[in-house]
This record gives sequence, structure tokens and C-alpha cells, in this order.
Amino acid sequence: MARRERVYDVIVIGAGHAGCEAAHVTAKMGLRTLLLTLNFNNIAFMPCNPSVGGPGKSHLVREVDALGGLIGRVTDLTHLQVRALNTQKGPAVRALRAQVDKRRYQEVMQSILEKEPLIELKQGEVVSLLRKNNSWRVGLSTGIVFEAPAVILAPGTFLRGRVHIGLNNFSSGPQGQQPAIALPQQLEKEGIKFRRFKTGTPARLRRRSLNFSVMKEQPGEITAHGFSFWLPWQPRRPPVSCWLTYTTEKTHEIIRANLHRAALYCGAIKGVGTRYCPSLEGKVVNFPHRERHQVFIEPESEGTDEVYASGLSTSLPEEIQELFIPTVPGLENAEIVRPGYAIEYDVIDPEQLTLSLQFKELPGLFSAGQINGTSGYEEAAAQGIMAGINAGLYLKGEDPFFLRRDEAYIGVMLDDLITKELDEPYRIMTSRAEFRLSLRQDNADLRLAEYGYRYKLLSEEEYSRFLARKAKINEMIKTLEKTAIDPDSERALLFSSKTGVPVKQKITLKAALQNPDVTYDLLREIFDELPEGVGESEVVENQIKYHGYLARETKMAERLKKMEEKKIPEGFDYNQVPNLSFVAREKLTAVAPRTLGQASRINGVGPADLAALLIWLDKKRK
Amino acid sequence: MPDEDTIAAVATPPGEGGIGIIRVSGKKAQDIGEKILRHPSGRKITSWPERKVRLGTVISPDRQVIDEVIFFFFKAPRSYTGEDVLEIQAHGGEKNLDLVLSACLAAGARLAEPGEFTKRAFLNGRLDLSQAEAVIDLIRARTELAHRAAQQQLSGQLSAYLAKREEKLLRILAHIEAALDYPEDDIDELDRQTLRQTVALVRKDLAELAAQAEKGRILREAATVVLAGRPNVGKSSLLNRLLGEERAIVTPIPGTTRDFVSEIINFDGLPVRLVDTAGMRTTGDPLEKEGVRRAWQWVKQAELILVVLDSAAGLTEDDYQLLEKVKNRPFFVVLNKSDLPPRLTADILAERFPELTVLTVSAVTGEGVDELRRRIRQQLVGKDFGEHPVLVTRLRHKTALEKAGQFLKNVEEGLENNLSEDLLAIDLRAALEALGEITGRTVSEEIINAIFSQFCVGK
Repeated sequence: MARRERVYDVIVIGAGHAGCEAAHVTAKMGLRTLLLTLNFNNIAFMPCNPSVGGPGKSHLVREVDALGGLIGRVTDLTHLQVRALNTQKGPAVRALRAQVDKRRYQEVMQSILEKEPLIELKQGEVVSLLRKNNSWRVGLSTGIVFEAPAVILAPGTFLRGRVHIGLNNFSSGPQGQQPAIALPQQLEKEGIKFRRFKTGTPARLRRRSLNFSVMKEQPGEITAHGFSFWLPWQPRRPPVSCWLTYTTEKTHEIIRANLHRAALYCGAIKGVGTRYCPSLEGKVVNFPHRERHQVFIEPESEGTDEVYASGLSTSLPEEIQELFIPTVPGLENAEIVRPGYAIEYDVIDPEQLTLSLQFKELPGLFSAGQINGTSGYEEAAAQGIMAGINAGLYLKGEDPFFLRRDEAYIGVMLDDLITKELDEPYRIMTSRAEFRLSLRQDNADLRLAEYGYRYKLLSEEEYSRFLARKAKINEMIKTLEKTAIDPDSERALLFSSKTGVPVKQKITLKAALQNPDVTYDLLREIFDELPEGVGESEVVENQIKYHGYLARETKMAERLKKMEEKKIPEGFDYNQVPNLSFVAREKLTAVAPRTLGQASRINGVGPADLAALLIWLDKKRK
Repeated sequence: MPDEDTIAAVATPPGEGGIGIIRVSGKKAQDIGEKILRHPSGRKITSWPERKVRLGTVISPDRQVIDEVIFFFFKAPRSYTGEDVLEIQAHGGEKNLDLVLSACLAAGARLAEPGEFTKRAFLNGRLDLSQAEAVIDLIRARTELAHRAAQQQLSGQLSAYLAKREEKLLRILAHIEAALDYPEDDIDELDRQTLRQTVALVRKDLAELAAQAEKGRILREAATVVLAGRPNVGKSSLLNRLLGEERAIVTPIPGTTRDFVSEIINFDGLPVRLVDTAGMRTTGDPLEKEGVRRAWQWVKQAELILVVLDSAAGLTEDDYQLLEKVKNRPFFVVLNKSDLPPRLTADILAERFPELTVLTVSAVTGEGVDELRRRIRQQLVGKDFGEHPVLVTRLRHKTALEKAGQFLKNVEEGLENNLSEDLLAIDLRAALEALGEITGRTVSEEIINAIFSQFCVGK
């Protein structure tokens, strides 16, 4: 048998949530892609909550989906329940959260990737990574060496992973998987700098050992839409429930009495933890006056009796977990299937990357996901798709693809990662987005689908559906603008009786819709010339109702855009600019911003520095 | 960056100077000129020829004449910034320039950020490199100076005062944001009524602070009190009496004070610049003539004019002229030389001019001087001065406070009208950002810290 050629266009190291998206994208862009995983059974594995979405995260999922990515589709296909969050708190923060079937999620993701003709999936541990003649050589522990001009690192929390359970700690990836030890050593040789972060996960319990009768049921909802713009939405009927219970004073007492045995509190862990997923001991110490904390029991999969005890994340020894878990009502007889643990792992300082997620000093090497200091599947997926697109563009010799802060949460996240100093794992939040009202989940496709089509990530069929949706939105707005309510007409009376809003003079339906008590659906009941469309009417309503606030954001965004249009050349030497303050010079050199706008967000760079920089750049141009 | 806003600022360095320049740049420059400038005759200005020196007066929004100025209009792109530019050369003195600038802002301009004119000039290709670098040096020096000044100011009471209010707003914003980002966590419901009250209280505090800005300026720069009067009525003796030392040269020869003498004294913590001027009379002596001209300039800038009359001599033609010229300005009549037999008394004056405030003193014996001090102080800062714990002293601060107040008003209305939380957050954030222009705190950095220190969220 002839030996197979071991040369690819792109090699993706790691088949988690970042790696899968990245490989999918490069394959769609027509590039031969090798997707390497430490363990073939663990493709798209969810080592933490079997849950996707929530505010900010849900926005990321919809954006990835609008670009043609996978996380939204796979979530829709494998969900056990979905809830619509923040329905009453305003259009900017409406979000979906899904519980997914963890095992099915992996199966569906794997089968999608297996259908891509240009992807080769392979199990193997990478032990060497070397650059030779503009190409990367990726060596496996088995001695085989692959070659590609572009490599995407997506190793998650596996790099020098160390699991802590109480005072015990051992070298390990998440959930008993093999860690990657040789790869970070190789990367250090290439000059990449690492630091340690930490995260944790709670115990998994056996469903049949729990008493659900004392817990509060958290049923799913039949929502109007799922995450994906492209799949027909088929909500699961009936949805599988989650259950809510609470810790007790007794729980907290046990934790306080055993703090000296918690890896997080006895000095065993040196990595920086996150405030976003606090351990139970952290919550007890930092909020001593809280009498109870929430515990959500979430189903992991229909194929297992294992459930996830969200809220009980801990670094305490298993025997202490055995003591405090039964103090939670409903968990009195809980059997622990797997204990909770904390994990420390290597992350890179993202200052080493450009906004296209490529290493500044290592052409062709990209990095995505938790290795960049983020937490969460959604954050990883969003980086994966961006790294994939940019690796593709790099190979084609085209300009990199960026999203601005006013275009997408993805843009907010990457700009934050590269520009601001990270002091804990980064989680997206809606409060990080200054253009929150413009970056809604209902308009993610309107913001991003054009890009998805440009890079061939959306099919012709999907794109024409997108255009049809856009046309319908325009038609809705036009109809609202040209249809008026005459006072004293039959329709005016009907309108007033339904909405409680009097019609004193002739107004257009668009003006009527600005009233908080009027909805598109309500108008449609009276004015049958208005087109129907559930997903579209939400966009239209938001655009019209919040016009004033949106206009404010647009004005702000225009100012930002002008700053973003002022490019700073790659490898720019800040020492040649007179009048730059010392601090600004150091920070600018470290971050190497791509535009003046990005420079303006760096701590320590003031208005006078920006003016000096602007003048110098202009001089260079002439 | 060039954008839709029209910006305005004082373009000359801070401090006393003969003239100061206010520059207005942007699409609305001419429009603003039409609103605030008049012909010396009071007519509206209708034609705007480019680059012509014109004489005019600046009027305040309440139609008071602020200053007599010369101005130029530059049409885009032939201007410093490449946009429409209105340049007003007004009389120097921060107070006067602040008033002219305020009029521009009231007419629709926004206060320019440091370096913003240069940035616009640059983006429109209007500056050559050597010019630009010189300007940037200046901006750097000035912003650092301003920064140091601000730091000094902020280390004091103003920062503590604002920090408390910022804290209150930040707590509310963190509460809203935590509930938005963690809808499934245990977070108390917002009590809209209580929030509205808190926001209203903060807004009231900020409004009061902004209202004190004029007094704060006086505290920072010293109020100017000018002694005016014809020669030899005893202005210099009175100055010395008020100062408590022999500062001005006193001789019985009329016209001894050829130029002005000015001294800053402390009236119970209130700095007052007392200015003794050359005696005002018609004279042929060129040196004395110049002294008289300068005396009039001081009179123009003064927060208070003391018209000194000689009670032993009676009213002369020069006295009448002086009274006529100051009649629209704040002034007291000070009847000096009460130690001598009077020909002119307060009663006689009050009978003839009932609107006058007349004080009788003797610079020689000191009689009536304490009462004069008391009245000066009261006139400058009012009776309740010192009751507000903090003062703002800069127009920039005042503008920021007023901006914050406007956003908070939106929040209150939103709370009342059941506006959704994501929209309330927009105005709360904007209010905090406006305060951040004074305190230097950046909202985006602090909000996430506030969320996690106040609320136990995340699973």
C-alpha cells in the first residue's frame, strides 16, 4: 500500500469547540484540513455544564451561526430544553439558554465533520511543532510527522493540565483525560509565553439517588425560535426539566470547617481563577451573609443516569464532598458518580496575538479557544471560526478578517482579549458591549451573514433565504410607513380598544408602533396588509421602538469607525514617534494595535499620545 | 476625529492676557456666530465674508452684552481645521473668555477635547509637520499641566464628593447589569421607586455643584475689586487701609498712581484682588493717559467696582462721568475722608440717586472700613457662601456635571415610564462616563468589578 502523503493546507490541533469550528471553516474554504485530537471519543466534549447560551453567550452563538458556524445548529439538534431569558428586560439582552444532550452533541458534531470531504479526523498526541521553510511540521508521539503552512492551536485546558481534588493533585486533562505535556514545551521553544489559569467543575450525581419532590422544577419552554438561522426549528416536546434546590447553613458550616483542605484555599493552586464560575467555597467565603446558594440539577444526556450539580463546583476532597452534598435538600442520598475538581492549565498571554489570532512573531501559527485565556464553549467556538477564516485568508494571501466592536460580540471579545490585560479567564457579558442595543441576537444574521457568504461558509440556498428575510423586513417597514390610522375610522376604534391608545390625529403605523403598548402582532390583527413573519417582526419592532437609542449608538459607532480606519502599519516602531509618553510607548509596543481606535482603548494611552501618533502616521504616508 | 459635532474652546493659554481667542470649528460655526455675535450697533450680522476682520459684540443667551470683540470667519476648507471656523478675539481674563465660550456652547457647540482642533486639522490635511509637532508639544504640556491641576483638585474634597455619588450610581448600574447578565441567579428585584429617589438625589447634588461653579472660579482665581475715582480722592490710602500695610505710594500730588497697583488679600478665606488704578481724569500727559486707559480696562473686568468719592470736595464732572460709565456694572460708592468736614454726605447722595449703595469711610482713621470689607465679601459670594462643602472651579467640570444631570433625568423618566433595564443602563452609563471626565474613572473597567463584588453570581 502506498504511503499517504502527509501534507495538508491546515492542521488544527485539538477537536474541542474551537478546533471543530476552525476545521469546518477551513474545509469550507476549500483547504485540505487535518483535525487532530488526543482522543477520538472526545470530539466536541463538554467537560463542564451541558448547557449552551445565556446573555452574551447566546449572542455569540447566533453570530457564529450567522457566519456559517456549527455551534448553533448542533445545539438546536441536540437540545433537551430551551428557555428564553430576559424577555421582559429589553431587546438588547434577550437570550436563549439550552440544555443539550452532551453525548448526542458529540455525535452530531462528529458526523457533520465526517461529512466534510476535505477534513481528515485523526487521533494522536502532538509532541513536536517546528517551523521549516515557511511550513509547520507537526510530529505525533507515534513518530509520524505532518506538514502544513498553517496550524491552528486549539488545545483547550489540556496544556500541562493539573487536576486538584482537595490536597491531592495529579497531571491530567479534564475529566480524567490525558493532558498535553510535550506540546507546551515545544511552544516555549518557539518563544511563546505561558501563564497559569484555573477553573473548576462540580460533582456529577446519579439521578435515581436524588429526591426531586423537594426541588423546584425548571421546565423548558416551547420557544419561537432556536439558535440557528438556517435550520427549521423543532423544539423538543416535551422538554426535559432541570431542578432547582439550595445549599443550607449546614452546607456552609462544613465548607468553612474544611477550608484548609480546599486546594483553592490552602495554596496548592497558583493559577488565577475566574469570578464567573466561582467555587462553592469561594461563594461561602466572599458572601458570608448569604444563607443559601442555588443548585441546579441538569440532565447530562438521555443515554446516562448522570446529572450535573450546577453551583457545587469545588476543590475540596471527595470525602468532604460526600459530607456537604447530602446537606442540600433532595441530595440527602446522592451518589457521587464523579467528584468535583479544580483544574490548572497553561494559557498564552493573548498580547502575543494579532486580532486575526495569529502569533505576531510566528507566521502561519494561529491560536483559538481556552488556550487564549477565555472560558466557555461559546467563546471558544467564536474564536475557532475567526481563526479558521483568518488561516484560510492567510493561505490565500488575502487581508485578514476583523469584526469591529460595533459589529459583533465577536469583535468585542477579540478586541478585549488582544488589547486589555487579562487577569482572569475571560467570559463574554452583555455589559462588555458598548453597542449592546445594536448587537442583538435577533439581527445577528443581518450584521454578519454577508461575511459568511463571502467566505463560502453559507450555501447559495442559505444565502438566498437570508436575502428573502431581509426583503421581508424592508417590506414590513415600508408597509408600516405608508399605512396610516385615520381618527374615527373603524380601524382606529379597533386599534384603541385593543391597545388602550387613543387616536387623536392621523398617524402612520410606524409612529403607532413606537408606543410601548403596541406590538407588530397586535397591529397585524387589525391591518391585514402587514406581512407575517415571527423572526422578522421582532427585528422590525426593535428597530422602530428603540430608534432614538439606536441612533445614539450609531453616532458613537461612526466616531469609532473613523478611528478604526486609521491603520497602524505592522511592526511599527513607536520609539521613532516624538512626544509619546513613556507608558504609552511601552504599552503600544507590547500590544501593537492595528488601528488608532484599538490604540485608544489601551490603558495608559492618552489623547495627547493619540494625536502624536496620528501626526507621525500621516507624515509617513506623505 | 472629524465628525458632525461643532467644537469650541479657548485657544490661547490660560492666565491673564490682553486678548484671548475662542475658536469654533465645524458645520455649525456660522450658525453659532449668527446667534451670539452682533454689530456694535446691535444689528444682526448677515454677511459672512471670509477672512475679514470684523468688529462686534458677543451676547449671552439672555441677550446681555458680554464683550466687545473682533472676529474672523474662515470657510472650509481654507481654515486651521479645514472646517468652517469662527475665531473670536475677546478681551483676556479667564472669566470673560469663559463667558464667551459659554455663549458658544449654549448656541450649539460642544466643548473640544484636548488636541481635538489639531486632530481635525490633521485629518483634513491642514497642518504641515513642523507646525503640527509644535502644537502637539503644547497640547502635551498643557494637558499635563491640566492633569496635575486636576489631580491636585481631585485629591481634595471634590473627588471625595463625586466619588460618593459615582459609587451610588455604580451600585445601581451593577445591580441592573448583574440581573441582565445573570438572569438565572438569585438577585433581588430592582425597586424602581427607591432607585428613582436615589438617582434624583444624586442629580440634585450635581446640579447644586454645577450652580456653584461661578463661586468656585472666584475662589480659584480671586475676584477682582477695582478702586476707581478721580485723582486724589484717596484710593491708594484706602487700598493700604484694606491691605493693612503701606503698599501703594501715597502723596498729596494728584496723579501719583500712574499705572495700577494690585494686591491679593484674603477676606476670610476668599481671595480678592484689589486693584488701585490711576485717577480718572482727562489729561494731556501721555504716561498718565496710558494709566487711565488701563484703569478703564480693569473696570471692565472687575467683579466689583468701588467708586471712591471725596466727601470733603463734593461731586465733580469727572465723578459724574465715572458714575455714568459704571452704572451697568456692580459697584459701590465709597465716600472717603469722613474724618474731614463733609460737603457731600450719604444722605445727600441717597436723595439724588436712590439706587446707589453708599458707604462712608475714612482711610485715615479706619472708620467704616470693616463694614466695607463685610459688604465687599457679601457682594462677591453672597451670604450663604461656604455652606456647600465642595466647589467646582472649571467650566469643563461644570459642563460635565450638567451632562451627567441630563442623563440622570432620562434615567428618572425611564424608571417612571417602565423603560426596560437595558435602556436604563445606557443613560446610567452615560452619566457615569460624564462624571468620569472629571474624576478620570472609566466605567467599562469598573462595572464588571462592581458586579462581582456586590453579587454572588455564576455557577
